[in-house]
Amino acid sequence: MTRQESLIAAEDLSVGYREPLIEHIDFAVHDGEILTLIGPNGSGKSTILKTLAGNLKQHHGTVYIENSPAHALTPNERARKRSVLLTERPRQSFMTCREMVEMGRYPYTGHFGILSPIDQAAVQAAIQLVQMEDFAGQSITAISDGQRQRVLLARAICQEPEILILDEPTSYLDIHHKILFLEILRKLAAEKHMAIIVSMHELDFAEKIADYVLCVKDGDIFRHGKPEDIFRGDLLRQLFDIPPDLYAKYLT
Amino acid sequence: MSFRKAKALLSAENLRFTVIVTALTVLAAITFFLNLFTGSADISIGEALHVLFGGGEGTTAASVLLKIRLPRTLAAMLLGGALALSGYLLQTFFHNPIAGPFVLGVSSGAKLTVALMMIFAISRFHTIHSATMILAAFAGSMLSLGFVLAISQRVGRMSMLVVCGVMIGYICSAVTDFVVTFADNADIVNLHNWSRGTFSGTTMDNIRTMLLVVVLASGGTFLLSKPISAYQLGESYAQNLGVNVRRLRAALILLSGLLSACVAAFAGPVSFVGIAVPHIIRRLFRTSKPMILIPACFLGGSVFCMLCDMIARTAFAPTELSISTVTALFGAPVVIAAMIQRRRDGE
Repeated sequence: MTRQESLIAAEDLSVGYREPLIEHIDFAVHDGEILTLIGPNGSGKSTILKTLAGNLKQHHGTVYIENSPAHALTPNERARKRSVLLTERPRQSFMTCREMVEMGRYPYTGHFGILSPIDQAAVQAAIQLVQMEDFAGQSITAISDGQRQRVLLARAICQEPEILILDEPTSYLDIHHKILFLEILRKLAAEKHMAIIVSMHELDFAEKIADYVLCVKDGDIFRHGKPEDIFRGDLLRQLFDIPPDLYAKYLT
Repeated sequence: MSFRKAKALLSAENLRFTVIVTALTVLAAITFFLNLFTGSADISIGEALHVLFGGGEGTTAASVLLKIRLPRTLAAMLLGGALALSGYLLQTFFHNPIAGPFVLGVSSGAKLTVALMMIFAISRFHTIHSATMILAAFAGSMLSLGFVLAISQRVGRMSMLVVCGVMIGYICSAVTDFVVTFADNADIVNLHNWSRGTFSGTTMDNIRTMLLVVVLASGGTFLLSKPISAYQLGESYAQNLGVNVRRLRAALILLSGLLSACVAAFAGPVSFVGIAVPHIIRRLFRTSKPMILIPACFLGGSVFCMLCDMIARTAFAPTELSISTVTALFGAPVVIAAMIQRRRDGE
């Protein structure tokens, strides 16, 4: 977990809205790695992700993008390196899936946002990667949740980021679409050399795709480490405060 | 879908845009000339054309056409476009299709400050420059908008915001009526007409000021097409794409306020155009692209207001309706349709 070669890193980061909610966050994510945030609802996962995405100002500490402080880069430089998939769902009427994906080219286009053939090709490649070719011409409001998440992922991908930040991207998807989605994330990390930070509730899947896990509980980094160390013993029981009898009945 | 197919679809879309824009432009031209050729003074089309091409100097026809009908029609054209664009900007800002300068009380705020300014200036200097009126209206617009924004931070729901806006509108209108009723001046008849909303009484001098403000503000809006398209996805996405969201929000409010102030200063309150026109234009074009919607809304607003003004002038001639009577009649049902549509979209 060294910062020097990382794509995104946090150093003594403290995040929160008015008051610091979580303090002393340290990690570094490298090319090809997936960092997963797990923890109960309201524990502060989204607050951390918003700060890493640049939507919320940190109270203390630094977010590094490719080893330079994020605030030292211009907004456009940051946009070309860091892309997001958030929990808010854009539901613009009269916008096709393709047009939504095209928005990812924003940092690369000129004053009026006209797409060049290179931009068009990037859009097409992103749509193919998430396998939404058949729906590209459809309205963004007319497709299912699973399809919409893939379109939003394609939007993030064609921004050609080094860093991808996703807030509970699989929450409303059925199990088949969850697996499809996570498979794309693994592929992006391996083939596009992205550093991916993703929060999720599905612990079994988190264990399978994560290279590193951050457990967030009550405004604190409860544990962090490799999945084989985290998903062991009754750490999860402690993380989610599950009564022992219920834990025994449902989770073992 | 293959890449080539997507390209074909794209050009089909462009073709559709071109057809609608052409149709709207033709409609604008027709309504423009209809406005010039109809009215209580009996002027034949041949006579009118003769005047328009520089003839008939000094005749009654020339003075009616050039001093009354032409400025009035130009005002409807420019201010109609400005109003539709002002509505479009507020809808973008609030991420809500039923926001508009009239329902949010912006028009009424402007009306109040203009009325105060007029009474003050006329009693002191017996004259008032149109730029002063725009400034007064702009101050009024910003005051009510500031108020609405302060409320919007407390109530998250848009429906409550609109209710607050309508209430602010009523308060401002009540104060305006009070001021107008008790102002003792010969110009009050003029003021009374203006406070109900009308394009009449516009001079070519007004048109020059109006043209400058409307062209600058509309051009400025068009230049913001790209950041507006990102802002439509939500503030967080826009910020991630590199948009300076705070600056953009300020620009949206200022431009919208300037456009609606210009309307309030010259025509008084004109209702529902700001919501109805962008709604119709979005349905017609079936796109969310600001680069298309911004000029299209302007064009649509021009056509709508020229048509409504023609009806206001001619329907019960020689009695004239206030412009809001006509725009409300056609605009309000569209607003209701917009709300139903929004409910259906699962908002």
